[in-house]
Amino acid sequence: MKIVVVDDEEIVLRSCRKILEAEGFEVLMATSVDDALDTIDTQNEPTPFLLLIDVKMPVRDGMQLMRIVKARRPDLPIIVMSGYPTQETIQTAGSLGAAHFIAKPFTPDELLSIVFSVPEVKKNHNH
Amino acid sequence: MLFSIRSKLIASLLAVALTVGAVSLYTGVRLLKEHVVGEAANRVRLDLNAASEMYRTRGKTTRMALNITSLGSGFVQAVANRNHPELLYHLRHMAQHAELDFAGITTDNSLMLCRIGPHEAVRVPETNEILLVRLALERKAPVDGTVILSREMLMRENPELAAKAHIPLPAKGDPSGTGAETSGMALAAAVPIFDGNAVIGVLYGGKLLNRSETIVDTVRDTVFQKETYKNRSVGTATIFLNDIRIATNVLTPEGRRAIGTRASAEVKTAVLDQGRNWTERAYVVDDWCITAYEPIEDINGHRIGMLYVGAQEKKYTDIPKNALTLFILITAGGMVLAVSFGFVLANRIMGPVQRLIEASRQVSDGSLQPEIGPIQRGEFGVLQGTFKEMVAAMERRQADSEDKIIQSAKQASVGRLAAGVAHEINNPLTGVLTYTHMLLRRKDLDAEVRTDLETIAAATERVRKIVKGLLDFARQTQLDPEPTDINRIISGTVALLENQALVKGVAVKFIPGENLPLVTLDRNQIQSVMINLVINALDATTAGDSVRIFTAAGVSGTGAARKGIEITVADTGAGVHPDHLGKLFDPFFTTKAVGQGTGLGLSVSQGIVQRHGGQIRVQSELNKGTRFFVWLPVTHTGGQP
Ligand SMILES: Nc1ncnc2c1ncn2[C@@H]1O[C@H](COP(=O)(O)OP(=O)(O)OP(=O)(O)O)[C@@H](O)[C@H]1O
Ligand SMILES: [Mg+2]
Repeated sequence: MKIVVVDDEEIVLRSCRKILEAEGFEVLMATSVDDALDTIDTQNEPTPFLLLIDVKMPVRDGMQLMRIVKARRPDLPIIVMSGYPTQETIQTAGSLGAAHFIAKPFTPDELLSIVFSVPEVKKNHNH
Repeated sequence: MLFSIRSKLIASLLAVALTVGAVSLYTGVRLLKEHVVGEAANRVRLDLNAASEMYRTRGKTTRMALNITSLGSGFVQAVANRNHPELLYHLRHMAQHAELDFAGITTDNSLMLCRIGPHEAVRVPETNEILLVRLALERKAPVDGTVILSREMLMRENPELAAKAHIPLPAKGDPSGTGAETSGMALAAAVPIFDGNAVIGVLYGGKLLNRSETIVDTVRDTVFQKETYKNRSVGTATIFLNDIRIATNVLTPEGRRAIGTRASAEVKTAVLDQGRNWTERAYVVDDWCITAYEPIEDINGHRIGMLYVGAQEKKYTDIPKNALTLFILITAGGMVLAVSFGFVLANRIMGPVQRLIEASRQVSDGSLQPEIGPIQRGEFGVLQGTFKEMVAAMERRQADSEDKIIQSAKQASVGRLAAGVAHEINNPLTGVLTYTHMLLRRKDLDAEVRTDLETIAAATERVRKIVKGLLDFARQTQLDPEPTDINRIISGTVALLENQALVKGVAVKFIPGENLPLVTLDRNQIQSVMINLVINALDATTAGDSVRIFTAAGVSGTGAARKGIEITVADTGAGVHPDHLGKLFDPFFTTKAVGQGTGLGLSVSQGIVQRHGGQIRVQSELNKGTRFFVWLPVTHTGGQP
């Protein structure tokens, strides 16, 4: 199963890849919204995958990305992460169709328990 | 306004003084006038009676003297014998003792026998014309009374008497036009001389009243007791022949006896013509007097003159006049006193008022330590006290709101800082956490490396907690309010922390208030407030202490009395040092060891409570315990965002 991680921070991308790859996920990294959209588009085969999106990014933020993605691929499960979780961001993310929300920083176990609680992951991930 | 109160006060005092003064002046002077002058008139009337009695007595005395002489041994014999030397001896003796001006003896048919004076020896036969002599002969009885002696009669008796009787009259007001009064008026008596039953002659004698001082001065000196007023005798007495003063101690302006002057026409008409007594004020010679006149009648009842006594009116009218002056002086003094008293009183009253006004001016100019002067007694003191309280309340409120402003400014700046820092820190922190934990997953780790990694993980965990606290603090979270049973929230909180308390050996007890209204609040946020308060309490207590939580319906202590509920968290722990009490709600204020507390708990709690429109307060006593009070309004109306 593929997971696309979108964040403008290198260290976050690397941390996520480290954790998720250890669990056998294929991790694609994007550092901006445009980058992320490219990545999604190049995946022409309809392999189910997961988006892990950071909210706060320069130029266009995670929320905009979510809107675009939801318009094109409403079936894609999305997890939103934020280093500054407010009631408001959590609510907006929820209303835009995010499956889950995770606050940064997190431990590997915390990230994994969120990822594994997504039904699509449970269905498709085979170790 | 001040001025008008002062002048009103003075004016009313003045009015009182003036009214009292004027009334006493009017009544006093009136009473005095009526009384004194009336009394004086009465007195003069009585004095006239006394004078008239003295006048008549004088006549009777003469008659008695004559009687005694006529009865004297050898006297009748001497008359019968025409023994002139003997008779003259008797006459002189008598005249001297009875103070007679003339005296003589006639035969039984009025022919003169002898008389005292220069014409003592009667050579040519001469008839005595004195009325009394004839009457004594006719009546064969002694008679006395006032008689008029013509100039001729006087000349016969004694030329000196005629001269004495001669009274020049002032030219004007002289009806007879003679220019002088020549007749004499005398008090005389005549007694028949009996030889057995036969009348052999008449003994007569009398006192010339013209220019006589004895009677009038005796009257003055006995009746008025030599009383003087302004160097003049108060009382005067006069004998009139008709309306002419012939004997008087009334003085002319030059100080001579006013002999020859006349009574006023009014008096003359009333007394001489109508025969009435006159008691009224009258203008006597040159001055007003309170006077009394009565007619003098001769033995036949003809009015031939008047007797007068009078008292200087001035002496009596001056009494009310002096009293008036005195009253005016007293009134004036009273007014001066009223004005000065009014001033003092006004200053006593207005001084503190002025100071209060000045003090309020100071307050409106921004000073909260106005000078209100010494506290007075009575109502004014109450006013001053209230004023002081008011200023103190203003001061408290100002300090309060200043505190609040500082507090929220502090929170806002700290909030922005925290948000920025936290956001930046969280990303690298994710890396640290990830790599540490991923390393820890490896089975081939050296024990020492594993311990070190675990230390890193724990430390990072701390950092994460701090940052989370900062974020909680910074987050201006929107409230998500719903009507809530506050007791349920608190029971949940207590349940969460029960184990922790049990371990410490501290009893946590919740005493829920009954019939509390539902409160509209954000459950999560209020729960975090409660958790922080209870954890703080647990941190401050040791085994054996207790933490008790109450809820009760209550109205807010300050501001509009709104319905609400109050939560109390009371512990019996260490308490707060008085120096720290003011800083508890400051962000980052903590007394806890590094890593044990961030000092954000109460600051965040305060923010939450205030956003609910509520208040959080603390009371503490060192080593006794601490109480936190959280008041929340039943329906929250936004509060601070
Ligand atoms: N019940 C209490 N008894 C005694 N002191 C208290 C009590 N509650 C609070 N304090 C004092 O107030 C300080 C500030 O409390 P606050 O909750 O804001 O921060 P903290 O508890 O130190 O840290 P944290 O951010 O973890 O809550 C505490 O350090 C403590 O000194
Ligand atoms: Mg605390």
